[in-house]
Amino acid sequence: MSTPLSPLIHLIDDDEAVRSSLALLISTVGLRVQTWADPQAFLAGFDRQGIGAIVLDVRMPGISGLTVLDQLVAQGVDQPIIMLTGHGTVEMCRRAFKAGAAEFLEKPVNDEQLLEALQNAVRQHVKSRQRHQADREARERFAQLSEREREVLGLIVAGLTNKEIGRALDLSPRTVETHRANLFAKLGADSLAQLIRRYAALVDADA
Amino acid sequence: MNQSLRRPALGIAVWLLASGLGALWIARAELALQREAFETDARIAHRLLSQRVLQHEAVMATLALLQPASDGDPPEERLPSVYPQVLGVQRRDRDAAWPDERLRAAEAESRRLRRAVLASLDLPRGRYQLVLGADPASYALQIDMRAMVPWSEWPMKPDSSPTRVTLEHGGQSLVLQPGQGHEGGWRFEFRKHLAASSQPFDLVAVRQLGPGDLPWGRMASWAALVAAIMTALLSWQRQRAKGRRAEELLRLGQVARLNALGELAAGMAHELNQPLTAMLANTQAASRLLDEDPPELATARGAMMQAVEQARRACDVVGRLRRAVQRPDLSAQVQAVALQEAVRNALYLLEPECQRRHVSPALDAVASSLTVLAEPVALEQIIHNLLMNALQALEQVPANERRLALALSRADGRGVLTVSDSGPGIPAELLPRIFEPFFSTRSDGLGLGLSLCETLATSMGGTLSAAPQAPRGVQFRLALPLVPAP
Repeated sequence: MSTPLSPLIHLIDDDEAVRSSLALLISTVGLRVQTWADPQAFLAGFDRQGIGAIVLDVRMPGISGLTVLDQLVAQGVDQPIIMLTGHGTVEMCRRAFKAGAAEFLEKPVNDEQLLEALQNAVRQHVKSRQRHQADREARERFAQLSEREREVLGLIVAGLTNKEIGRALDLSPRTVETHRANLFAKLGADSLAQLIRRYAALVDADA
Repeated sequence: MNQSLRRPALGIAVWLLASGLGALWIARAELALQREAFETDARIAHRLLSQRVLQHEAVMATLALLQPASDGDPPEERLPSVYPQVLGVQRRDRDAAWPDERLRAAEAESRRLRRAVLASLDLPRGRYQLVLGADPASYALQIDMRAMVPWSEWPMKPDSSPTRVTLEHGGQSLVLQPGQGHEGGWRFEFRKHLAASSQPFDLVAVRQLGPGDLPWGRMASWAALVAAIMTALLSWQRQRAKGRRAEELLRLGQVARLNALGELAAGMAHELNQPLTAMLANTQAASRLLDEDPPELATARGAMMQAVEQARRACDVVGRLRRAVQRPDLSAQVQAVALQEAVRNALYLLEPECQRRHVSPALDAVASSLTVLAEPVALEQIIHNLLMNALQALEQVPANERRLALALSRADGRGVLTVSDSGPGIPAELLPRIFEPFFSTRSDGLGLGLSLCETLATSMGGTLSAAPQAPRGVQFRLALPLVPAP
């Protein structure tokens, strides 16, 4: 039904009945679910690279869901985290959001609420992963530029023409044109607009 | 002071210090008083003796002026009968001579000084002569010093007075009053010349005070008084601490009960939430599975079975809870309880709460005492809850309109307590529901207080009811069976 690359939901709750019923409910919308009874086993064993989301019960024996949340955030886990609680207080809710929870739901939870929250979370995670991927690529390409090429790029982003760049850097317009062609090729940009959109921020950070 | 008095060593030290300082002050005041009395006595004695010696000078001057009369019968012959201290009078006419050389020398001295002078002074025996040289005749008076003291006007009792009084002159002395001597201690002394220059005796008064003269009785009384005051203070403090402790215990009990209730509710919520969550998720999953095309019947059936199991689990939780909080049967524990006593007790415990809300409860009791059959703790709990309920209702009306009236009466073989408040009252349509659990007209009320009261009253064979009160407020009526007459 689902490919190995489809998103994976991690469900952590100490109650067997709650775990299995929620897993069944989540699976009805085609999401894969991995259930964990023990928060420590989850922290030690779950796949941090995969796409998906985490559903965490607040009240568990041994370790509080809020503590697990803090640890996940501290470890830089980027999967969105949905908190579930039996009787949530305003204070608890505030703390969860402040710590970085994506959603805070009360038990017993309505199916539509939970499933919508999960789908939103997964969509967001995919998008954020893509954005991170693009960022990383741009950085790698930018790192390949020579010193002179970076200077030329900076002046292109600043809106100067080839002639003006040649004057500013004391180069012939022909040499400027060569650098320009090289850096377009290295950065894999098809147009000036694309170049500026992707790399303006990196140029600013480099300056 | 609060803490210090409780430690015995410190308490004793404080007592010793206070007693010591007080005793010292008393002793000093007493010594000052004694000194003043002594000096007054000595001054009086000095004045009296001075008058006497001046009298001698006056007598001699008079004799010199009168001189022997021509018809014989010299006036000096009658002197001893007028002045008892005058033992005798000698006269030397112009051509005669004194029988005693000392008198002749004295007369020469007298003429030189132009006043009377002393001759043949014998202080230990209390005798002296006073000589005045004059013309044509000179006189000598023989004085008995002991007879000179005017005992009738004397300020001290000569036999028993502790003050020693002597007359001294030129190394000799005459004891007029022996006094009672002590060695050591305090010494008062008074020394002054008598006022006549012809008889320059020193009047010396000495009073020796020993430890026995201190006002030991008063000093001991003071120490006892300090001890009594400190003991009273200590017991008052203990009493107050005990009262405070009792109040704290009561408050603590209330807090503990509330905490236990909160814990119970939280536990119950969690215990029920888990199966409810599973039931909801299972049924919703089943519903979705049945909607699929084709429906996933086997999985949906499994989910429904799961839901049924979870419903049973929730039932078990409720059943377990009910068994856990089941109250023991109170009807077996009833005993004779004085209703007045229980009401007064509850009023006493709630006194601070009443004062805080400016409410003064009025108690109207029947003359004879009402002894009802009740379980004392349950009865106390009912009265306490009814009073707290009334006080909370009264918070909602202005302070000057707050009335809380309690009345005890006897009706149909039952002891009846009514608690009436002038609070906002309860709407008529809600009145039948106020004894239901979890029903409350207060936003922060749990709705368990009155429900508990009614359950307790019923289990003791009594009744609890509520009725509107004119013009405003509610009256609660608790009726409990009376103890049958023996």
